[in-house]
Amino acid sequence: MEKSIENIWKDGFLKGEALVAPKVNDLYNRKSLHIIDKFMKLFKINIWAIIGFSTALFIWAYFINALLAGSIILVMMLYVSFTAYREMKALGNIDKGQNSLSYLSSFKTWIESSIERYGRMYRIVYPGLILCFYFGLWFSDIFIEIREIVAKNPSEMLWGVHIYSTIVILISAIIMSVFSKAIHRQDVQSVYGGILGKLNEALAEMKELQE
Amino acid sequence: MSNDFYTSSILPHAGIIIKICRAYTDNQEDFEDYYQEVCFQIWRSRDNFNNQSKWSTWIYRLSVNVCLTLLKTKKKKGITLSESQAVDIPEEAHTGFSDELLKQLYEAIRQLSEIDRAVILLYLEEKSYQEISEIIGTNANNIGVRIKRIKERLKKLLDGKVN
Repeated sequence: MEKSIENIWKDGFLKGEALVAPKVNDLYNRKSLHIIDKFMKLFKINIWAIIGFSTALFIWAYFINALLAGSIILVMMLYVSFTAYREMKALGNIDKGQNSLSYLSSFKTWIESSIERYGRMYRIVYPGLILCFYFGLWFSDIFIEIREIVAKNPSEMLWGVHIYSTIVILISAIIMSVFSKAIHRQDVQSVYGGILGKLNEALAEMKELQE
Repeated sequence: MSNDFYTSSILPHAGIIIKICRAYTDNQEDFEDYYQEVCFQIWRSRDNFNNQSKWSTWIYRLSVNVCLTLLKTKKKKGITLSESQAVDIPEEAHTGFSDELLKQLYEAIRQLSEIDRAVILLYLEEKSYQEISEIIGTNANNIGVRIKRIKERLKKLLDGKVN
């Protein structure tokens, strides 16, 4: 008698070898690659966002007659983007052939050293940005009226700028320079916090399994 | 993914994952890739499981979706069935089955449309029309008619092979 498809199905799978599951030892590698791929994607978006934002700012600076400040900010941000690009290249060089735990540990080490390097760079970039913003805006067309109001009290002016607000900005710039690493770490946490959480979770899980 | 999660939550359902992956692949290498990807996606999406359906139902649905996605990706990359079949793999390793009839049935199932493959697999796994419709996302009333049509098609394909 001809077998129904239901019986072919049932009888065929009675033999154990038809249902042997493949090994899943590759999963951690996939997971590691997934975490790092996601990070790299975000990193790329971040680089393009910096370039886009600073270019838009430069164009705006042109229209409000603050071209010098806009140019300095653009150059600084392009330098930041270029550094980020180089960092990303270095991340791409991490050996994908090593085991997942070593791979993710290398990634974690890269993040830490990258924060260290960026922290040093931002020691100059953060105060540079805040000063450029301040002086750029102060001497721009949109601040004409404010400049005129403040100029009515010459004792509060020095070389065309308001003494007290300049002191506040200078102090802020110094504080930002001193705490550049902490600020950058916070910045990284706000953008990549989700992925970094998953990374730490995966590392903890793998270490636990290794014990 | 911890071994515990794999052993307790995936392995009991490995059978259906294997059956689904076999229906969407035509060689051992792809089958293993699909299986691993399904397991990985189950592990990755486990927090999205909200108890509204059974864990097994959710696994079936996810397995079908992952296979369909992988199949689409493969098609986009331009890898056709004939190209992958051109690889010289011994028949046994190629299909994963030693049972001749089951092998023929799978070959016939692979000739169905992507959704029909999922429907018939679930039917053969004795899922109710309601469950099949939940997994596939179609109306339960149409499932019976669809299964009847698929079975007729399979029968024709099998008869063609046997004769």
